[in-house]
Amino acid sequence: MLNRLVRWSRKKSPWILHLNSGACNACDIEVVAALTPRFDVERFGVLLKATPRHADVIVATGPVTRQLKDRIIRIYEQTPEPKFVVAVGACAMSGCVYRGAYNSLGGLDQVIPVTAYVPGCPARPDAILDGVVKLLGTL
Amino acid sequence: MTDQERLDSLKAALGGDILEITNPATRRIFLSVDRTKIAAVLTTLRDKLGMTYVDTISGLDTGETYEIIYHMAEATYGNVNVRIKIPKADARVASITHVLPGAIYYERELQDMFGLVVDGIPDSRPLITSDDWPANNYPLRKDWKFERPAEIIPGGKK
Repeated sequence: MLNRLVRWSRKKSPWILHLNSGACNACDIEVVAALTPRFDVERFGVLLKATPRHADVIVATGPVTRQLKDRIIRIYEQTPEPKFVVAVGACAMSGCVYRGAYNSLGGLDQVIPVTAYVPGCPARPDAILDGVVKLLGTL
Repeated sequence: MTDQERLDSLKAALGGDILEITNPATRRIFLSVDRTKIAAVLTTLRDKLGMTYVDTISGLDTGETYEIIYHMAEATYGNVNVRIKIPKADARVASITHVLPGAIYYERELQDMFGLVVDGIPDSRPLITSDDWPANNYPLRKDWKFERPAEIIPGGKK
């Protein structure tokens, strides 16, 4: 009974943190566009939070730069359990054009565990929304 | 201002300091000077010809030398690019921050990327490499080899 209640509340209010790990800002703009009333993410209970301590889902964009690696791990550790990471865009999935560069470590999964991947360069707002909702469907 | 007028004014202002001067396209002039005279040449360009803005400083590793180009932008003409050559055995260049203070960021980038020693730079901290960057690794040198860290494939290869 309690477990069902916890699962229901977890599914119905995924608060997200928007994390830029070295993106070119295209994916960031699409994440922000996905949060507009046009897509109405609040029907899924999605709210943008300013701090990782309030977030359940980290929506991360961009390849991992060498400088940001430790900070990303720190942000991930600050997020309370249970936590999920959605990698948005081709860069966050594999490093894309920055793969193999001296200052880039490749995709986000090289540093922290990733639950869902959203392809696209940049990913469309509806695709980002779909990725987050599919993630909620697995709970 | 036409190309010819700018060429003439450059020759009049710099005289014997010019080793080579070319005009490969309209509104673009490339000139070579000796590396010890770079600060004096840029001072002359600033004071006599009104070139007060350096777009960027670009570098190239040609094998034996480093070629550094100071790209000067100018509203009335176009781009005047001043090229110097630095032998690898003595990889030092004089700072131009006392002539054009804004050039400090490009000079710090030169230090990060080529490992050139810029003499007289007011602030020589690394600018664009990350905090944990290992010493004596300069990405734009041709003899620098980058070893990519092994990639983790979550869930293994299928």
